[in-house]
Amino acid sequence: MSHPVLVVLFFLIQATALFAEEPKVEVFAAAPYDRHIIYQALVFFWVGIIGLIIIITMKLREIKRIQNMGIDKEEKDAPFLD
Amino acid sequence: MNCQRLKGWFEERYDIEALGALVRSKTVPSHRFDAWYFAGGLTLFLFVFQFITGMALALYYVPHAEHAHKSIIDIVTKLNMGWLFRSLHHWGAQLAILVLFIHVFSTLLLKAYRKPRELVWFTGFIMLAISIFFGLSGYFLLWDERAFAAVRVATGGAGNLPLVGWLIKGFLRGGLDVTGETLTRFYAFHVAILPLVTIAITGFHILLVQLHGISVPLSQEKRQGKPEPFFPNIFYRDLIVWLVCLGVVVTLAVVFPPEIGRKADPLAPAPENIKPEWYFLFLFQTLKLFPGEMLGMNGETIAIVIISAAILFFFLIPFFDRRSASGHRSPLFTWIGIFYLVYFTAMTIIGFLT
Repeated sequence: MSHPVLVVLFFLIQATALFAEEPKVEVFAAAPYDRHIIYQALVFFWVGIIGLIIIITMKLREIKRIQNMGIDKEEKDAPFLD
Repeated sequence: MNCQRLKGWFEERYDIEALGALVRSKTVPSHRFDAWYFAGGLTLFLFVFQFITGMALALYYVPHAEHAHKSIIDIVTKLNMGWLFRSLHHWGAQLAILVLFIHVFSTLLLKAYRKPRELVWFTGFIMLAISIFFGLSGYFLLWDERAFAAVRVATGGAGNLPLVGWLIKGFLRGGLDVTGETLTRFYAFHVAILPLVTIAITGFHILLVQLHGISVPLSQEKRQGKPEPFFPNIFYRDLIVWLVCLGVVVTLAVVFPPEIGRKADPLAPAPENIKPEWYFLFLFQTLKLFPGEMLGMNGETIAIVIISAAILFFFLIPFFDRRSASGHRSPLFTWIGIFYLVYFTAMTIIGFLT
């Protein structure tokens, strides 16, 4: 018999806190599914960024290799191969 | 019209080849401290980022005391991706100011302000001041009780300056107190006046950097390596830094979206334990060091005068540092720079923790 009374009391005590609570604006998706989608998109975004960084680094390395070989500058007097 | 024809169309009218040759001829010095050069490019990237996200937000924001707060709640809760754009703009602003501080302090410690680059230093310093005012005006647009109290304190502090304080305070507030008029003014500053001034001064700053070339620290003048071409070497490295920064901003925006407080009530008292934005914390802490009254004068006025004098000295440092202007090392000004940096960092941390 005391169990249901305790449950009711618990809910009543919890409800008293509601009056003191300030109304908060949800600045982020509240639903767990939406949150999951956003975090998943963030992971894909980072994968894209890391991919781009790898591509740029490879390109930069290739440019440096060509510069070190000294063949990056166009020769002005080079004959045309007609 | 295909690409080749379009290129030909422009080449007939403008000397694009000369512009390309100019870009290819630009080089960047290579030495131990060359990593600090990236701070300048990163600041520029963050400014462009702020312009883009700010333009998107300006389409929906209502600059009126009655509707401003509600319009931001609508942007965040009703617009598709509105919360993300607001969060990106918020975190972009924090990082832009942080990177700008890093850029200014690295310039100070590497003595990049020395002759003939005094104007580069002045324009950069003005950009920092503008960015801080950008931050304050943008914070106020939220029109919540914390932003309201922060602007009341900041404009009140400016009002404590001797002689011109009342004029600055009245000009910023648009009246005797912070009201809806202040919101209109801050909106005008944030979306029209400051962006125009920023574009003009940034353009002039970049032009001066191109004119003088990038500064090499005195200690590295004889130790520098072969200069690297800006395009493509440095440009690609800049791109990598920008991409990482973009990732950091997006992550912060998603993980820590900024809260929205209760709507401002001009008649209500300021909320307890209020703190300004992090870039004002050192000023806030400094003001706390002074008693209410000193030598029969208002302690806050004395504090504001001392802080203003310290900032003016910082601004005019290229004129005081005569040794580095003549090409000699000046350890005294290195220590002054370190003192400024340590004071700023320590006061910001203390202000944040207390």
